[in-house]
Amino acid sequence: MYGNAYIDPNDKAAMMLAGEDPQKLAEFEARIARGEKIEPKDWMPKEYRKQLIRMIEQHGHSEIIGALPEGTWITRAPGFRRKLALMAKVQDEVGHAQLLYSAAETLGKSREAMINDLITGKSKYSNVFNYPAYTWADACIIAWLIDAGAIINQVANAKGSYGPYCRALDRICTEESFHLKYGHDNVVTLATGTPKQRELVQAALTRWWPPIMHFFGPSDKISNHTEVLMRWKVKMATNDDMRQQFLNMYVPKIWDLGLTLPDPNLKKNDAGKWDYTEPDWEEFKRVINGGGPCNAERLAVRRNAEERGRWVREALNTAESKYIAPLA
Amino acid sequence: MNTEAIKELLYKMADDLLIIGHRNSEWTGLGPILEEDISFSSMAQDKIGQSQALYVLLHELGEQEPDTVAFTRNANQFHNAQLLELPNGEYDFSLIRHFLYDHADQLRFEALANSSYEPLAKVARKVKGELKYHVFHANTWVTKLGSANAESHARMQAALNHAWNYALGMFEHSTHEDILIAENIFIGEDSLQDKWLSNISAVLLKAGLSIPSSDTWNPVLGGRKGLHTEHLGPLVEEMSEVFRYDPTAEW
Amino acid sequence: MIISLDPRVNRAAIEADNNIEPLKDLDQWETYEVFHQKRRGDQHMHVGIVHAPNAEMALIFGKEQFGRRGLSVNIWVVKTSDVFTTEYDDSDIFETVPEKQYREAGGYKVMDKINKYKKGL
Repeated sequence: MYGNAYIDPNDKAAMMLAGEDPQKLAEFEARIARGEKIEPKDWMPKEYRKQLIRMIEQHGHSEIIGALPEGTWITRAPGFRRKLALMAKVQDEVGHAQLLYSAAETLGKSREAMINDLITGKSKYSNVFNYPAYTWADACIIAWLIDAGAIINQVANAKGSYGPYCRALDRICTEESFHLKYGHDNVVTLATGTPKQRELVQAALTRWWPPIMHFFGPSDKISNHTEVLMRWKVKMATNDDMRQQFLNMYVPKIWDLGLTLPDPNLKKNDAGKWDYTEPDWEEFKRVINGGGPCNAERLAVRRNAEERGRWVREALNTAESKYIAPLA
Repeated sequence: MNTEAIKELLYKMADDLLIIGHRNSEWTGLGPILEEDISFSSMAQDKIGQSQALYVLLHELGEQEPDTVAFTRNANQFHNAQLLELPNGEYDFSLIRHFLYDHADQLRFEALANSSYEPLAKVARKVKGELKYHVFHANTWVTKLGSANAESHARMQAALNHAWNYALGMFEHSTHEDILIAENIFIGEDSLQDKWLSNISAVLLKAGLSIPSSDTWNPVLGGRKGLHTEHLGPLVEEMSEVFRYDPTAEW
Repeated sequence: MIISLDPRVNRAAIEADNNIEPLKDLDQWETYEVFHQKRRGDQHMHVGIVHAPNAEMALIFGKEQFGRRGLSVNIWVVKTSDVFTTEYDDSDIFETVPEKQYREAGGYKVMDKINKYKKGL
């Protein structure tokens, strides 16, 4: 469940290719242009490795932190069908973190280093998970619409250039299609249910709309840097394109259920694009930098989980084990 | 066939499975390492799925819908052994409970695969593979952690000591014990406990862990008759929270 | 203390400023490559890796991470460090000159001769 990589806008494109071997760079770019994948031990520009590690790692963190808001409702899911499905869904998110960390490891960053960067706040994760799931309906909205957004991003990235990331995403996308169906089924059940249920789901949707609009990130500054990342098939679509795709696919489905969205300007214009009120990007930045309602809790819970598991991991560590990065 | 005896058997089994499945599901996303988190969650799902299959049999015998029975009773209407409702504590206790319970569960279902009550025999045959994995998982973890280092050994032994009398409570006699045995529905709790002791002893020996000495054995009984610790009430409250928000609704 | 909407978090009684020691190297154990067989008769295929402290646990973990939806009948695991690989830089060793028709089925065309022989009869 992940929106997009948060790429530091201060990275200067001019710096990124400095010192790279021009011939190797040309071969590398030609391979990508031919539609071939890059594999772990291939030569790659330093910036390519750096951006991929950052992106895949953030994606992995988003899965493991993303298990928390929905996990809030694991002990309270109503009835066998919902309880089993929610357990399986949250389990899948943990499984996705495992797959993504494994892909990032092939680029030379260990899982320990990634977890350390997560729990110290050095590394980011998708901003939406810093919001709370107040009611059962919030968990349902997450399962439907956040996963829907994630699928748009992941389907695009699965066509990227780095082999291990694409393979992980193929597997993830298959599982996400269950999540989406599960989430939709839940929201439909609430929206077509009793007045109290409708009220519950409408309130959750209203709460989650601003974070959903933030989900794909602010408009990309079209810089040389972004262009290079798109040429390298690290970034597969602009944030605005993905947001448009999401609105196009899901706003009609939401309106179909007679639910309202808290944006009076939301409509499809004559050019076939969606108009909307510009999301509050100051709020987005504030939350990314730790000021959201759940940032402190999410990281404290993660640190607690790592700490409580430490004796288990330490006990089974043997002197002869040695770490080498996974092959593929 | 004695329906009351069968219902009592089904209720205690289903409640055991539901409650341990629920407790184990609490680890989802919080486990000691990602891979184990996934494995433990799968087993929790299996448990809850198995309990559902048994509530379906109860429904066929005239009890209410599985969701109603499982999610809306009060704590004193549950028949699970107290072992299963205890809070998760740390991973040592969760693993030991999983080990002690799953060995009993596997043997119980194994015996029931030949039950004269065919619907239950059918369920027992269906879940055989799941249980085999659960026991394999439990044995591997208990064996490795029991003998890994001083801390893990001490933790596992302490968890075993803490769980022991509760575990013996799993074999509390049914009021219909004789009928179940006479009608070849079930082998009875005493036979089950004997087999269980023999199976777990072999694994614990390999793990370097000791069963508390038998003069301290004092089974915690009452769970089968609706007597529970203070931990079951809040758990059951949580399970029914969403239902209670609008009891007329379909969720 | 963290006050959460999640009852599990409240039960864990977590301090908000619970700074912890960073994870050490190998905290997450080493990795095993996982191969699974979808059906009897199929080849085993590489599906990914698991972090595990020993082979038995790698099997336990591999089964759930890659086979929990019932898509496998058998799995193998092997320590990543025990796998030998060729280098992608050397992938040109797999290229070969095209004049090796003698080992392809398509390199053998006998119908011309047979037809010529039949005509001559």
